Amino acid sequence: MRELSLHILDLVENAVKAGASVVTVSVFQIRGLGLLEVAVEDNGKGLEVPQDVATDPFYTTSTLKKTGLGLSLFKGGVERSGGSMVLSTSPLGGLSVRATMPMTHVDRSPLGDLAGTLFSVVCANPELELVCRLRVDGREIEVTRSAVGKKRDMKTENGIAVAKAYYEKIREGMNTLDITQ
Amino acid sequence: MKLKSAKDLDALRKEASGRMSIRGDKKRMQIVVHMGTCGIASGAREILNTFAREIDTNGIDTVTLRQSGCIGLCDQEPVCTLQDGAGKEFRYGRLTAQKVGKIVREHVLKGDPVIDYIITQ
Repeated sequence: MRELSLHILDLVENAVKAGASVVTVSVFQIRGLGLLEVAVEDNGKGLEVPQDVATDPFYTTSTLKKTGLGLSLFKGGVERSGGSMVLSTSPLGGLSVRATMPMTHVDRSPLGDLAGTLFSVVCANPELELVCRLRVDGREIEVTRSAVGKKRDMKTENGIAVAKAYYEKIREGMNTLDITQ
Repeated sequence: MKLKSAKDLDALRKEASGRMSIRGDKKRMQIVVHMGTCGIASGAREILNTFAREIDTNGIDTVTLRQSGCIGLCDQEPVCTLQDGAGKEFRYGRLTAQKVGKIVREHVLKGDPVIDYIITQ
């Protein structure tokens, strides 16, 4: 995949499929150490197999196909850029996928359109509580779907107005923190 | 809307009640964009966002937009399934932003399926 944001979208889709009602997406930049950390945590049913099995491209829970490329591709991309990916139990009770990689590695994928990615998630999953944490060197901004939704009037039932407001909040947060691609 | 009287409250109740009935209405059209890894890698995010933009721009409030996983048609991605008011499903494949615009104009707004883009019906 061309962008880290597309991997994030894929991980959120996995979380939704695992029955999550809350998903936290974190993008942290530690500039002093030159590190980028991307994490997706959920309160879904968690991992049912060991980590090495879950990242095997020929392991899938789907009955429609024989491959499960999402985690495998993400792990490959992270490791190609000199980083590492860890699967563990999330503080929310489900799965935590956390990747750390050097920001300046030539093979690191760009962050991409994070706001557009989260717009998609909010738009198409109105029941999901989506929390996005953006942090650069200790300065943090958190955007939650419920907080954004509360400020909208009730004419937003198709979720698009809330998604647009969420998109703007993320854009604003990224500009405020000056998050680099 | 600021509530200043019982009349305002009643108007709000009626308005909300109307919307609740729309939400529960089985005749509502649903568009599901399939966002498995294959779909996302093929551009499903842009497709979903284009649907949202078209729905918003055209002021359409009778469509529910959802996402789901891979349906095993990886070579046809990005794919969406449109379920019309009668519950009939239409599957559109190899979507582009242009195709989405046409599907919204023809199928969503006029009720005419875009046969050329259908992969299974």
